[in-house]
Amino acid sequence: MKKLSLFTICLIVLVGSWVVLRFAIGGIVSVPIPGSVIAMYMGLIIIAILVHISVEDSLFREFLRPIRETLVEDRRQVRRRVIAVLIPLFLLGYTYSIIAQRANPPGSPRDAHPSPPLELTYKDEVIGTMQDVVNPFRHYEKDDPEAFKAHVENGRRVYYQNCFYCHGDHLDGQGHFAPHLQPLPANFQDPGIIPNFQEAFFFWRIAKGGPGLPAAGTPWDSAMPIWENHLTKDEIWDVILFLSEYTGYQFRTFGEAH
Amino acid sequence: MKNRNVTLLMLVLGIVVGTLRCAVTYAQNAPEASEKGKEVYDQSCAHCHGTEGRGDGSAAENLLPRPRDFTRGLYKIRSTESGQLPTDQDLFDIITIGMPGSSMPGWETSLSADDRWEVVAYIKTFYDGFKAGEAPREISLDGKIPYAEQSVETGKGLYVELGCVECHGNIGRGDGTSAPTLTDEWGFQTWPANLAQSWNFRGGADTEAIFKRFIGGIAGSPMPAFEGDSFLHFGLTVEESKRLTELENKDEMTETEEAESEKFYEKMDAAVNLALNRTEGIELTAAEQQTYDDAMQVVYEKSWHLANYVKSLAPEQRPEPAIGKNVLRSQYVQDALPGMEDPVWETLQARHFPLVGQIVIEPRQFNPTIDSVDVKSFYNDTEVAFLFTWDDRTHTIGDETDETTGKPLEDALAIQFPVKVPQGPTAPKPYFLWGGRLPVYLWHWKASTPEQVTELTAKGINAAEVQEAQGALQAQGVYTDGQYKLWVKRALKTDDKKDLQLDPGVFVPIAFSAWDGANGDVDAKRVVSSWYTFVLEPVPSSRRFVYPPLIAILSLGLLFGLRAAVQRRNSVS
Repeated sequence: MKKLSLFTICLIVLVGSWVVLRFAIGGIVSVPIPGSVIAMYMGLIIIAILVHISVEDSLFREFLRPIRETLVEDRRQVRRRVIAVLIPLFLLGYTYSIIAQRANPPGSPRDAHPSPPLELTYKDEVIGTMQDVVNPFRHYEKDDPEAFKAHVENGRRVYYQNCFYCHGDHLDGQGHFAPHLQPLPANFQDPGIIPNFQEAFFFWRIAKGGPGLPAAGTPWDSAMPIWENHLTKDEIWDVILFLSEYTGYQFRTFGEAH
Repeated sequence: MKNRNVTLLMLVLGIVVGTLRCAVTYAQNAPEASEKGKEVYDQSCAHCHGTEGRGDGSAAENLLPRPRDFTRGLYKIRSTESGQLPTDQDLFDIITIGMPGSSMPGWETSLSADDRWEVVAYIKTFYDGFKAGEAPREISLDGKIPYAEQSVETGKGLYVELGCVECHGNIGRGDGTSAPTLTDEWGFQTWPANLAQSWNFRGGADTEAIFKRFIGGIAGSPMPAFEGDSFLHFGLTVEESKRLTELENKDEMTETEEAESEKFYEKMDAAVNLALNRTEGIELTAAEQQTYDDAMQVVYEKSWHLANYVKSLAPEQRPEPAIGKNVLRSQYVQDALPGMEDPVWETLQARHFPLVGQIVIEPRQFNPTIDSVDVKSFYNDTEVAFLFTWDDRTHTIGDETDETTGKPLEDALAIQFPVKVPQGPTAPKPYFLWGGRLPVYLWHWKASTPEQVTELTAKGINAAEVQEAQGALQAQGVYTDGQYKLWVKRALKTDDKKDLQLDPGVFVPIAFSAWDGANGDVDAKRVVSSWYTFVLEPVPSSRRFVYPPLIAILSLGLLFGLRAAVQRRNSVS
């Protein structure tokens, strides 16, 4: 077999690295790698190749040899003509696709879990500071399991009469109204939701709904109703108990490490 | 290669063992409910279907279709014949897949297969009929007629001949004359399926599923099984049926013709009686069975044609919603904008905006009947035109009034924009339900005044004001065969400060509200969408014909230059 020229080897390394990054690592091994990261890696690889071929004069000449041959030698005429057609054609198509690209609407940055206010309120009544308020029925879990069960059951009723249309039968945010809402309803089965928040945070989000969000949470987009207009304080606390009972996730409590 | 074979073998083995296991454990039909089945049912099903299986769980009231009442043994989605109970597999499949267009989700991800089989066994205990343990008669799919244009055409004829039009309407949008009057076995209102929206078919939209709904019927609903007296000319062959129709259409029959038609009626009566006997479990003689089988043969054949026709009425899947790259783009035209009936609209692909019940502010709509609105748009240098289409089974123009508000119930559509386009992606938008602190600008069209669109400014769903300056909009609306079509035209720029001003290339938030008067929609009770995006698509820059060739020529020049340089160097050395 003929020995591969240095130029061909460099070309194979370059194309091979791109294929590995784009399809093998980003796709088979892990999630797709962002284009900008791939570009950075490819930049590094090109620099490495350039360093390698410019270490010695002879190496550099060896690298340039096939290019020079293709450009001038008669026996490379076919290759020369093919390249003289392909490169301009590629650039033509590429530039056209960039210029003719249609603009897409700008994405709207939205903080799904913006900071709550310092004070937790129900309608106009102040319940306490966000940090200190605990679910008044949570202690039944240890003190009076029967009473706790009754509260959870009431929470279940509240959930299926009010919440499940959007947050779903499975509490996974995929209720029958959910697919066509933007943003999508919260998924309580997501391990990143319940364990990261105090019950008081949930009370705030339920009581004040979409319109009660600060601007960072794009309150104008959320279809979450202002539930303090429909539910009593106790019903909100009960439904919060139900959420953790059904999913098996524990809410964060104050003082717990992250 | 070896590895792959092993994997394949394992897979096959797994499937075989799995199937055997299911067959061994679950094939018997007698309901033997376990503690586990009750536990899973109470945890996952009871809040809709009720602890006693009566379909009266705490969530039931706001659901339409209502959750199934298991105590009657009536199951809609079955692979079994008319009047038969479902197979265990039928029940298992519904639990696994769910029912599109209803609130029944699929449970594949949240319940293990074992748990789902336990639930199947448990729900069977709610109805004594299952205790007999007899295997239900399954519908044969043997004579399947493949989907083809000819079959669709035959089915189209049958659709009219068999009376499907009565409920499902001329072209299947569920807008038949009796559509608003239908109730199910429990007395709850039920709407005939809109056959153009196959994504809402409860039992799936492939032709076999549709065929099974015909032969087995949809138990508990007004949809009859194609058998006995609910099937036109049951017992007659295709030729006999044709001859009878011919005779019936005559103004006057001769005596021999009278006798001939009488014979047909007798034949039909006999067949219908056999079907009834069969449903009641009376054993048929061999001859009777033959007569019945012959009658069903014709029904099966017609049903396949009809299933193919129904399949042809809807797209394969729900269209993609108008988000991301699918945003609504108004196309530029140089000349006058097309009128409502202009065929040029056909050249545009509509953008699809799904609508959901408004359940944020009272009065709320938990049981919406309008699924979505499709939109197209053109603009020129001075004006923009829109074409909105949406399906509504009834044409309601305010003849009846809402009991609580006294307001007329009528069909309507509102198109919502912000008064001022938010500058930048983080700038606040008005609240998606008709604005709040920031106002929205609305086009409100009502079915009773189809040539008129009212401009509103709103700062809340119950805080809309009719603008003083009207007349900026031209409109035309029609209702045909279960579908509204609304054409609206406006100048890009107006003098009114309360109006939205439009510029090409600017992404404008857009949202919709729709009302179905026959479904009790009035005021806040309606269907709505979240904010979507609309843009007057800029005319593509003519630079796209200049720069690319320029760059191509330059690169070619560069190659030649390089070649010349190398050649010179070679000759020098």
